[in-house]
Parts: sequence; structure tokens; C-alpha cells
Amino acid sequence: MKMPRSLQGRLLLLVLGLVVGVWLATAALTWIDVRHELDELLDGHLAQAAALLVVQQAAEIDEDHRGVDAPTLHRYAPKVAFQVFHEGRLVQRSANAPVEPMLEFTGRAADGFNTIAIGGTAWRVFATHGRERDVQVFVGEQVASRNSILWAVLRSSLGPMLLALPLLALAAWWAVRQGVAPLRLVGRALAQRSPQALQPIAMKGAPSEMAPMLDALNGLFERIAELLESERRFTADAAHELRTPIAAIRAQAQVALGAAAEAERRHALQATLQGCDRAARLVEQLLTLSRLEAGAEHALVAVDLAALARQVVADAAPLALDKQQAIEVDATAPCTVRGDATLLAVMIRNLVDNAIRYSPSGATVKVAVSNAQGVVRLALDDSGPGMSAADMARVGERFFRVVGSGEDGSGLGWSITRRIAAVHQAVARVARSQSLGGLSVEVEFPAEEMA
Amino acid sequence: MRILLAEDDPLLGDGLRAGLRQLGFLVDWVREGEAAERELRAQSYAAAVLDLGLPLKDGMDVLASIRRSGITLPVLVLTARDAIPDRIRGLDVGADDYVVKPVDLNELAARLRALVRRAHGQPQERLSAQDVALDPAARSVTQAGVPVILSAREFDLLHALMLNAGRVLSREQLEQHLYSWGQEVESNAIEVHVHHLRRKLGSALIQTVRGVGYTLARELPKAR
Repeated sequence: MKMPRSLQGRLLLLVLGLVVGVWLATAALTWIDVRHELDELLDGHLAQAAALLVVQQAAEIDEDHRGVDAPTLHRYAPKVAFQVFHEGRLVQRSANAPVEPMLEFTGRAADGFNTIAIGGTAWRVFATHGRERDVQVFVGEQVASRNSILWAVLRSSLGPMLLALPLLALAAWWAVRQGVAPLRLVGRALAQRSPQALQPIAMKGAPSEMAPMLDALNGLFERIAELLESERRFTADAAHELRTPIAAIRAQAQVALGAAAEAERRHALQATLQGCDRAARLVEQLLTLSRLEAGAEHALVAVDLAALARQVVADAAPLALDKQQAIEVDATAPCTVRGDATLLAVMIRNLVDNAIRYSPSGATVKVAVSNAQGVVRLALDDSGPGMSAADMARVGERFFRVVGSGEDGSGLGWSITRRIAAVHQAVARVARSQSLGGLSVEVEFPAEEMA
Repeated sequence: MRILLAEDDPLLGDGLRAGLRQLGFLVDWVREGEAAERELRAQSYAAAVLDLGLPLKDGMDVLASIRRSGITLPVLVLTARDAIPDRIRGLDVGADDYVVKPVDLNELAARLRALVRRAHGQPQERLSAQDVALDPAARSVTQAGVPVILSAREFDLLHALMLNAGRVLSREQLEQHLYSWGQEVESNAIEVHVHHLRRKLGSALIQTVRGVGYTLARELPKAR
């Protein structure tokens, strides 16, 4: 049988099913028990009646009494019949008894209980005989009368229960409904919520069975709220950060339009282009960061960090050379980490760009990738101005910029670096460079388990 | 009109300075909050354009600080923060106008002119004294309906005097109105400009208050 989908229907079905089952079992047991007792009692009466007839017949074998009907004394009397035979002849019978013997007894005497059909009706017949075997007595009783007694007993004891069943069903329905009311309440509360309403569901007197579900639900709400809040902050920050370059582009373009002198126009147009580049870079960084923050799955494969570092530095070298900076790589031995090559390249590029950008001309930038007992370390050192302890603590906050650097970075590079490190379970640290005196950035990857 | 621009973004600052200059403003540009406050305390500007996200000292703190000191110059806050609570806070702290980036340069200039005009109790965009009318937006001057050609400095000097009609401006004050940083001021520059203005507009307009400075005579002296 298919269970109903509603909890209420399910409970109701189970409860009512069990009640009906128990009731039917009770009825069956009562039937068997009463029937047995009734059979015993009535059979006893039949036997006793037969015995009386035998005794009577033995005492007064009298031709006068032959064929005389016994008077009908009780309304049950038509349902009871008897025959008395003497030496094979019918000598006495009740009005409702047939002329033929109820049981064949030619040759030998019949004895004991039998259930037979007389004129299409079932009779319970007790046969007995006298000691001389000349007297044969049959006492019969309609089986239907027994059944009617049985039904009467069952009716009186189980009838009220049958009547009570619909009431019980109604009561059970009400009780179950009351029982699952908290569920409905939660359902309604959830249905009425606006998507922005993420406060926990508070239910006074909620049943203890619902506590785990409510806790889980509230936990989920909390996590969603955090996610939304970070999303909202991100959007607000992003909008804020994008407005400035756009304002710059607009202002510079307007200056170019209004410029009287060629030099002024050229300057403004150059600045417009610069602003476009900056806005484009910012958008790219925002997208990278938002993808990282969305927590997308990244396929991590074996990546040679040393090769990647050499590649990135080679790409960035012209920028350093423009500033008369010395940039060097110490990454000869392959250092394999499990990672996403694209993200790792973005991270190294960010770090190298920062080092070049924030170091003065003539500075030195050193990139090293090393492997110590499976722990791969990427280290960047520069001889630039470094950072104050307070700035180091704040680095990695979205849009945090070191004041007075004169550079127009968005402050997103660090957030991206931190995020990428986190994706690889790597730890990024900033410190004062021991070797060059400027800033030192170290990204340490977890030791690779040898699978 | 000399204004202070406080904006940390190099590209935007450069663009605003160049744009406002094209529109006839004298612009001093500072890139951080402490410098902005220092300049606002030291110099007399017609107005200030203040970014809120300034390094060293937040624009809002600068604003609150100068307002506490009783500096009443009109301040236009130019910011990327567009949330209503930010706007309300900005205005409550003492901004006279709140503009969200990006902004059209002409609109910015118009807003600045309006702020300056209102700060001087002038309800009209066009200023006038005697038969001389000055249009700050068009940077044009007419006398009895006839256009008069003035140099930029002469225009600024007349503008300053007209805005402060009824008050006497010292030579130093006028210099501050006419010259931004780094512009060499000849010791008798103001006298020279006043001389030129009198020659172009008649000697009755600008009056010398000996030992104090200059003021504008609103009405022609009754000729009888």
C-alpha cells in the first residue's frame, strides 16, 4: 500500500489501522471464545435433555404415549426438537421433529454429537440410547439459534466499539492535526517570509523533535545571511571603487573636448586611456575575486610552481626593466604542488606586479621557489619601502591600499592573493624582508601526501 | 574663483583640476585629508570640492573639523559613496552639496558657482553694480549692455569684489582670490589690475579704502 505523502495522513492511517486491527482481533477472539463456551453449554443442555428422555422412556414404555407431542413451552422451543425410538419405532417426538430418525441407526445404536441438515436447516443433534439399546433418543437444536446467541453477545460487546470507530477516527484526526500543528506553523512562517528575511525562526514551545530541524534551518539562514552580507558589501565596495576611475575617465574626456591647446588635449586623452585601462583591470580583478569568493570548485592538478614562477617573471620583466629594477628568479628544481595553474599564475603575477610597482626605480626584486621536505614555498623579496606593522596587519582587506604610495592600485590584488592561497590551503605571510630590507611575501603550500 | 580640490585619485584629480580651470576656476589640488584641512585653514577659498575617501584624514573628519572651527566656506562633497545614510551624514556634518561620482564638469562648475553665490547672499546668477553686469557662468561682463573685454585676472578681481559688495577686501585677500599656488604674484599686481579695471569700466566703480583695501560702489555717486 502506498503511504500518503502528508505526515498527518500517514499518522492517521497508522493509528486508525492499528485501532481497527486490534478491534478486529478482539472481535475474532471473542467470537472464538464465546462460540466455544456456548457450544459447551448448549451441548451440555442437549446431552442432559437426551439423558432425561432416555430415563423417562425406560421408566414408562407406554403405548398410550406413542406419538404424543411434547408441549411447546418456550419461544425457543421450535428451534429445539427431539425423537424417541423404542425398538426402532418412533414413540415420541416434538412437533417440529421429522418422522424419520435424525440419524441412521439401523443395526447399531447412534451415539454422540453430530451436525446434520434437516429440510435445508443445520441442526446440532445429540444421540444417545438406553442401556438395553432398545431406546434411541435424538435431541436436536438449530445451529442458527446458536449463531444468533453468538451474534447477540458480539453485538452487545463489540457493537458500541463499531459505533465508536468513526468518532475515534475523528478524534484521532484532530489529535494528529494538533500534533503536527508546529510543523504547519513553521511551514506557514517560512512561506510568508520575504527572501530578505533571514532572522532565525523562533518558536516558543516547539516540540523537542523539531529542535534539530529548526536548528539546522536557523544555521542555514545564518550562513545565507553571511553570504548575502558579504555579497552586498562586495557589490557596494565594487561600485564605490569603479565610480572613481569612471569619474576620472569622464572628467578627462571632457577636459580633452574643452582643451584649447594641443598639448592639453593630448594629456587629457592619454589620461582617459589610462583611466580605461585602470577600470578594465579593476573589473577583471573584481571578477576574479567574485569568482573566488563564490567558492567555486577548482580542479587541482599537479603544477610545477617553479616553472610557473619563471614564466610569470619573464612576462613581468619588461615592467621592472622600465623602472631600472633588477628582478631575479631562484627556481631551478621542479616544485610540484596540487593546484589550479591559472589561479596560481594570477597570484604570482599579482605579487610580482606589486613588488615592482611599489618599489622605487633601481630596486631589487627576488622571486624564489623552494621545496623543503615536500613543503613548497614561494618567496618574494624586494628592496622597496616595505610596510608598517599596522599596514601589514590590514593587508588583504578588500580595497585596502597603503597610503601615500602614489600608485593607483585597487587594493584588490592582495585579497585575490589571499583567496587563491586559501583555495590551495596555502598560507600567505607578509614580513620585512631579511635579505633585501623591503617587503617579504611568503606563500607556503601544504606538504603533498604521497598517494 | 579660487577653490580647493581634495582628491586622492591621481587621474581624477588631474582631470577635475584641468576641467575646472578650463571653466575659469583657480584650482589648488591636495591629495590627502591633512593637507586639505591645513589649506582650508590657511587660505581663503571661494569653495572646496572634497572627496570623502581621503588618505590620512577622512573627508568627513576634515569637514567636521573645519566646521567646528567656524570656517563657513561652501563645501561640495564629491564621492563614490552613494548610500542615502552617507549623503545624510555628509550634509549633516556640514557639506553644502553632495555629488556622487562620476560628475559632469559643467554641472560641477555650476554647482560651485551656485554655492558661492548663495554663500554671499546673492540670489541671482548674474551680479551687477551700477551699470556693470557680470555673468559668472559665461564669464562675460557688460557695461550699460555693451560687452567689455576683461582679462581672466581682471574678471576674477571684479567677480570677487562684486560677490563681496559692501565689504572691503584687502590686497592679500584679493591676491588669494586671484592666484593659486605656485603662481608668482608681483607686489603691485592688484594695483595694476584695479588700474586696468578702472580704465575699462570707469573710475567710480572700484573705490580705494586707504590702508585697508578695495570695495565696490554699488550706486553711482549722484552727479549734481
